[in-house]
Amino acid sequence: MFNYYLRLAWISILRHWGLSLLMVCAIGLGIGAAMTTITVNYLMSANPIPEKSEQLYYVQLDSWDINNPFNDGLSPPDQMTFTDSTNLMRAQKAFRQNVQAQAFGVIEPENPDMLPLIVNGRANSADFFTMFNVPFIYGSGWSRASDDSKEFVVVLSKETNEKLFGGEDSVGKSIKLEGNMFRVVGVIDNWQPKPRFYDITTGAFNDSEDIFVPFHLIVDEKISRSGNTNCWKPTGDGFQAFLASECIWTQFWVELKTEQDKEDYLQFLNAYVQEQKQFGRFQRPIDNRLSNVMQWLESQEVVADDAQMMMAMSFMFLIVCLLNTVGLLLAKFLGKAPEIGLRQALGASKRTLFSQYIIESACIGILGGILGLVLAYLGLQGIEILYGDSMKDLATLDSKMATLAVLLALFSTILAGLYPTWRACNIQPAQQLKSQ
Amino acid sequence: MLVMKNINKIFQTADIQTHALRDFCLQVNEGDFVSVTGPSGSGKTTFLNIAGLLETFTNGEFLLDGEEVGQLNDDGRSRMRNQKIGFIFQGFNLIPDLNLYDNVDVPLRYRGFNAKERKRRIEESLERVGLASRMKHLPSQLSGGQQQRVAIARALATSPRFLLADEPTGNLDSEMAQGVMTLLEEINQQGTTIIMVTHDAQLAQRAKRTIQVKDGRVSELEKVTPIMNQAIA
Repeated sequence: MFNYYLRLAWISILRHWGLSLLMVCAIGLGIGAAMTTITVNYLMSANPIPEKSEQLYYVQLDSWDINNPFNDGLSPPDQMTFTDSTNLMRAQKAFRQNVQAQAFGVIEPENPDMLPLIVNGRANSADFFTMFNVPFIYGSGWSRASDDSKEFVVVLSKETNEKLFGGEDSVGKSIKLEGNMFRVVGVIDNWQPKPRFYDITTGAFNDSEDIFVPFHLIVDEKISRSGNTNCWKPTGDGFQAFLASECIWTQFWVELKTEQDKEDYLQFLNAYVQEQKQFGRFQRPIDNRLSNVMQWLESQEVVADDAQMMMAMSFMFLIVCLLNTVGLLLAKFLGKAPEIGLRQALGASKRTLFSQYIIESACIGILGGILGLVLAYLGLQGIEILYGDSMKDLATLDSKMATLAVLLALFSTILAGLYPTWRACNIQPAQQLKSQ
Repeated sequence: MLVMKNINKIFQTADIQTHALRDFCLQVNEGDFVSVTGPSGSGKTTFLNIAGLLETFTNGEFLLDGEEVGQLNDDGRSRMRNQKIGFIFQGFNLIPDLNLYDNVDVPLRYRGFNAKERKRRIEESLERVGLASRMKHLPSQLSGGQQQRVAIARALATSPRFLLADEPTGNLDSEMAQGVMTLLEEINQQGTTIIMVTHDAQLAQRAKRTIQVKDGRVSELEKVTPIMNQAIA
C-alpha cells in the first residue's frame, strides 16, 4: 500500500500544483533559514579533535590582581604568565605539554625575484604536533631535544611550502626568517581545525598559521611575538622585565591520559601555586583549572550569542512557515472531502486514510526539504560573502547537515500535517457523497 | 440478509432534535431487488446511509449477514463496507484524477488483493459494463451514462453481497437511465441483492419489491413477487 499511497500523493501534488508549490516554498524557506543558522552553529560548536579532546587540557592559573579579579572572578585568566608556563614546562609533569604564543615574521626567499613573505607564525613546544595530531606531508615536528638545544628549526604549512618550494619535499632545506637561517623539519598537510581550539584568544575561527617555530625563539628575541597581552601591574623596562612580569600572553596545554593523571596534575598545580604564594605571587584564592577541549570552547563562549539568537529566530520563522503549511494542508485536504468520503464508502478506514494523507504530507515535506537545502546553500554562501574569510569553513553544508535538513523538513511537515489529516479522516462520508 | 429492527436516527443540533428514522423495521433477503421511494426528507437516504454503514444509528438493532453492526468499530465497519457492500451514487462519485482502471482499483486496494487478482477483477468488471476498451480514459472523457457504468463496475469489482444505489439514474436522461436499470436487473439476476432509492415511480416498479418511506418509517410495502418478503412489523 505504501507505493500506492506514494503514487496517489504524487498525483495529488501534480493535480493541485499551485497549492503544493506554495507549501513546498513555505517549508523550503523555513528549512533553508533554519539550516543556515544550524549549520553555522553546528560547525562553530563542533569538536575539532574528537579522537582525544577528552585528554587535552587547557591550564588556567589565577595569578591575577587580588583587588580586581579577572573576568569579575568568574574564571581565572585565559592565558598564563611566561614565568608560570616555563616553570610548568620545566616540571614535565604531564604526558605531553606545550607552551605557545602567536608570532609573526618575514621570510626572505632565496629566489631574488620573489618578494619577502610576511607570515603568521606560532611559537610552540615540540609536543604541539603530537598533542594535536597535526598531519604532515613531509617530515615531522621537531624533537624535545631541539627545544632544549634551542635549534633554529621550522615547520611550514602546505601553502607556505607551495610558495617557497613549489610544493616539493623541503625537509632539510633552509629558509631565512627574520634574518636567521631556519632548517625545515616538516611540512604540514591541510590542517584547519574549526574552531581553532589550540588558540582561541586570537580568533577561534582564524586559519592555522603559516609557520611553526620553537617557543624559545621568542624568548631569545629571534622572532616577534603577537597576540593578546594582558597585564594587571606595571612590567618594568625591557623585554626581560616583561618576561618576568605578571602579564599573561602564553597558552599552556597538557595531555593527560587518565582521570587519575588529571587529578594528579591538578594537585601538582595546587602545590605549585602554594609554593609561588611564598614568593608573594598568587594572592587570590587558589583557582586552578584544567578544561578539556570542549569545556574550554564552551567556557570561552566560542559560539557567539548572536549566532545562537539567529538560530532561535530562524526556528521561530520555521514555526511560522509550518503554521502556514498547516493552513494550506487543511485547505487542500478539506477540498478533497468528497474523495475522502468516497474512499470511506469503498472500504478505507480512518487509519488507512490517515496513512495516505500523512504520506502525502511527508512527500511535500521532502520536496520542501530539498528546496530548503538549496536555500540553505545559498544562505551559507551569503554569510561567507558577508563575513569574509573568517566564515569560509563554517559556511559549508556537509552530508550530515544535508540529511538533517531533509529529516527536519520531513518531521516538521508530518507534524504540520497531523491536524489537517486528522480533520480529513473525520469527515462524515454520508454528507460528502450526497453533496457531490 | 439485512435486518433492521426499530432503528431510530436522531439528528441533534443545539436546540432541535430531528427524527430521521423512527422505529424503522425492514428485512431484505438474499437476491432481493428492493426499490425505496418516498418524498424528499422522508428518510430514504438516511436509511441507505445506515444500511451502507456510512452513518451510525441512535438506537435499534441492525444485522448485516447475521452480524450486529452497531457494535463494530471504524475498522470493522470499513472492512464490512469493503467486503459486503457496493455503492452507486447519483453523482457517480468517480475520482477525477484517476483513470477508469484506477477508479475501479480503489476498493480492491483496500481489500488487499494482489496485483494479478486486481487486474483480473478490474478487467472483468469493466468488460461487464462494456467499457473495457476505455480503461485508460479519465472520467471527464466519458458521458454521464458511461460514468455511471464505471461506478457500477467499481461497485461490482469486490463481488459485494449488497448493492446500494442512491438515485442511480437521477443524473441521466431516460435512455441512459433505462440502460443502467437493465444493467442493475442483470446484476440482480446473477445473485446480488440490490437496494435502490429512487424518485422515479416507473423505475421503482421494475424492482422485485417496492417500499415507501414516510416520516422515517416504512409506511407501505408492496409485494411484487410471491417469494419476496416484507418489512417486519
